[in-house]
Amino acid sequence: MIATLPAADLHARFAAIVGERNAIVAPTDLRTYECDGLLGYRVRPAIVALPANTDEVAACVRLARELDMPIVPRGAGTGLSGGALPSEGCVVIGLARMKQILAIDLANRVARVQPGVINLDITRALAPDGYYYAPDPSSQSVCTIGGNVAENSGGAHCLKYGFTVNHVLGLTLVTGDGTIVQLGSVAGEPDPLGYDLCGVVVGSEGMTGIVTEVLVRTLRTPQATRTLFATFPSTDEAGDAVSRIIGAGIIPAAIEMCDQLAIEAIVAATAVDWPLDVGALLLMDVDGVVAEVDETAAHAEEHLRAAGAVEIRRPKDDAERALAWKGRKAAFAAMGRISPNYYVQDGVIPRKEIATVLREIAALGAEQGLRVANVFHAGDGNLHPLVLYDGRIPGEEAKAEHVGGEILRVCLRHGGSVTGEHGVGHDKACYLGEQFSADDLDAMMAIRTAFDPERRFNPEKVFPTPRLCGDKPGAYVPHAVEQSGEAGRG
Amino acid sequence: MTDAEIAIVGVAPREVVTPRDVPELATTIAELHAQRKAFAFVGGGTELELGYAPRALDTVVRTSALRRVVDYAPEDQTITVEAGITFAELDAVLAEHGQMLPLDVPDRARTTVGGALATNAFGARRQRYGTAKDMIVGVRVVRPDGTLARGGGKVVKNVAGFDLPKLAVGSLGTLFGIVEATLRVYPIPAARETLAYAMPTQEAATLAVRAFVARRLEPEALVAYHERTIVVDFAGTGAGVADQGTAAANALREFGGVPTETPIVRSGAWRMRVTAPPAAFARDGGRWESNPSPHTFVFPLLGIAWDISDGPVGVDVIRRNGGTAVLHDLPPLARPHVDVWGPPPPSFPLMQAMKANFDPQGLCNPGRFIGGL
Repeated sequence: MIATLPAADLHARFAAIVGERNAIVAPTDLRTYECDGLLGYRVRPAIVALPANTDEVAACVRLARELDMPIVPRGAGTGLSGGALPSEGCVVIGLARMKQILAIDLANRVARVQPGVINLDITRALAPDGYYYAPDPSSQSVCTIGGNVAENSGGAHCLKYGFTVNHVLGLTLVTGDGTIVQLGSVAGEPDPLGYDLCGVVVGSEGMTGIVTEVLVRTLRTPQATRTLFATFPSTDEAGDAVSRIIGAGIIPAAIEMCDQLAIEAIVAATAVDWPLDVGALLLMDVDGVVAEVDETAAHAEEHLRAAGAVEIRRPKDDAERALAWKGRKAAFAAMGRISPNYYVQDGVIPRKEIATVLREIAALGAEQGLRVANVFHAGDGNLHPLVLYDGRIPGEEAKAEHVGGEILRVCLRHGGSVTGEHGVGHDKACYLGEQFSADDLDAMMAIRTAFDPERRFNPEKVFPTPRLCGDKPGAYVPHAVEQSGEAGRG
Repeated sequence: MTDAEIAIVGVAPREVVTPRDVPELATTIAELHAQRKAFAFVGGGTELELGYAPRALDTVVRTSALRRVVDYAPEDQTITVEAGITFAELDAVLAEHGQMLPLDVPDRARTTVGGALATNAFGARRQRYGTAKDMIVGVRVVRPDGTLARGGGKVVKNVAGFDLPKLAVGSLGTLFGIVEATLRVYPIPAARETLAYAMPTQEAATLAVRAFVARRLEPEALVAYHERTIVVDFAGTGAGVADQGTAAANALREFGGVPTETPIVRSGAWRMRVTAPPAAFARDGGRWESNPSPHTFVFPLLGIAWDISDGPVGVDVIRRNGGTAVLHDLPPLARPHVDVWGPPPPSFPLMQAMKANFDPQGLCNPGRFIGGL
């Protein structure tokens, strides 16, 4: 599926739909679209189209189909798994121009937004009325809701409140043949009839169609939030504290952990006054009704102490609280202060295994002579090891990638997952075959092809293929129906 | 329920089989598939009247022998169980560790986990905990050709692969059978308080509920019986529950409420679930003025009502106004005169494609779901 039209003709065809300026073919302009937040892979698309509304998206999809081009949807391009990495000869359909909050309906506790709306802007629009949108990926000030839907994005506070999928009630989707279809709830009514297609499209990594409107749930801002900050001699004690708190039946809104290296980077890059002589820290929110959070925060503090906390701080006001969270959310960007390059990983493990797994990860890094910083969502066992390396030293990048891959295998050995929130994308497709059997993947492919039988949307993502992964163990094995020719792969 | 008593929407199967374990289940299904026999899965049999009569039903596959706890990690608040375990059995296992699965189902002694997932069962605690879709983290299914497949996993956070668990919940056994599920479980709250207040009018009841929201109370359950009697549950820490109980009682009294008993819901041959945007229920009880009699009970903040009655009320009006009205129970003689699901949504062609991908031969509970899926 390689575009065969000359660039000028291609441009003319898409420009007829989206306008001259919003169809991009000049090589220098295309450079922006060659990759997403996973910078190691770059592919130049044949063209980028930036539609302004649902009808234009549908027309672009129909044109791509006529020209037999792959389609790669794109939000803000902040994804970390290469989900928006272009395919050879594809059209990238960017949703950046569709950035309107269409309606806020607090009586029904929903908001209808276009996919290009920035995550945090939804909460900003709702805040004056005492409502908010719960999923809060660390990139929430730049990432868009369309991308969040594609990746089923999480964030620190999904421990208590769930992920994007738990907060998206309805969608408008453009499917493989350019049809515009409404999925799920229309106006906030629960339990729409039939299969939960909305729930399936969320997290389908741009492989089921292009989402052009999103109906999100809005939540009432809780009466109170109490934040606790605790330092520990090492990640062992911090991990133990997390286990104790979760095990005691406390459901915090968030518990985040930073290890010593991460603290060093964050302190260097932001205005936080965290101590540098500790092995780990936990940042924790408890929210709900006032009387309850005070009681719960007091219990949590007892568990922090019992696990060996060195120091416990309670931010005195909202400003201090916001600063602590700003430090946490700036963690990835702060890595530049302690390393020229880093490779971020995103694995999940059962929460009781945190201390053990962190030791295994450190050992994997040490074997290759690389440092690994950890800053992650401890409450739900979602690790973000940052493998630090220097790209100028030949071979170091490959070593970092190797360590990253081995980290995922450690997560799988402990009964976990290769991704908690960044998605499989291009980066982890080969590891998906280690987490799931060929039969499991075949069931997932049956879901995908119900939406997109031609597999035109975001081909070469998520599913392991021999082309991507070679013939190593765990690589994709075609199902019987595929071998017999009843169904094929795009 | 004995094998001989089983009938799905009035259709009795030619045979009933009860596989002893998962491998035997897979083999059984593969054999039925090879013989092109139509089959349906039955758990506790509490929702056998839901939906259209199946187009064909050769074999009922009971999950009652699949009731193992496969893996329970209390410290991780997850449990993996086979589909045939009942809620009563599950409750007992979880209670040993002070935990619970806060899903309200028709009959805890009979309802199975697989059945509750397939029908997306819920009750009043949905207010706090959401539905099975918010609790399920992994699923293992048997596809109509006998192939076993998993989706999701055993950890609470996981976006690897397509969301088979979400597809499974509420699919009524028309795509595959649920064999095993991993669920997020919750601590049993330390304290609990229930308030029941009779309100002078439906409007007063609505205003009191609005006051709960304005004061940012977080009830575990909130039900308005006959649109007049509000029963609200708070659960959590001792201080939190006491504080919320006082705040709620104040709001209820402010609008003229007086303490009462939780009403007893009488039974009826008709049982209908109504859903609409929540504001519709604040307006006129979600009846669009078509029906003078109030809903039997309403979950006002969720946008859901149940009508238990001796006859159908307002079905067409509700559907015309963008709500859904699903008849879970009705007298057999009335079935030809009422569409129990109502018209399928605009996304129905995609649902047909999903059905065709998973069950191309149409063997798996054919015809029972919306639009005859």
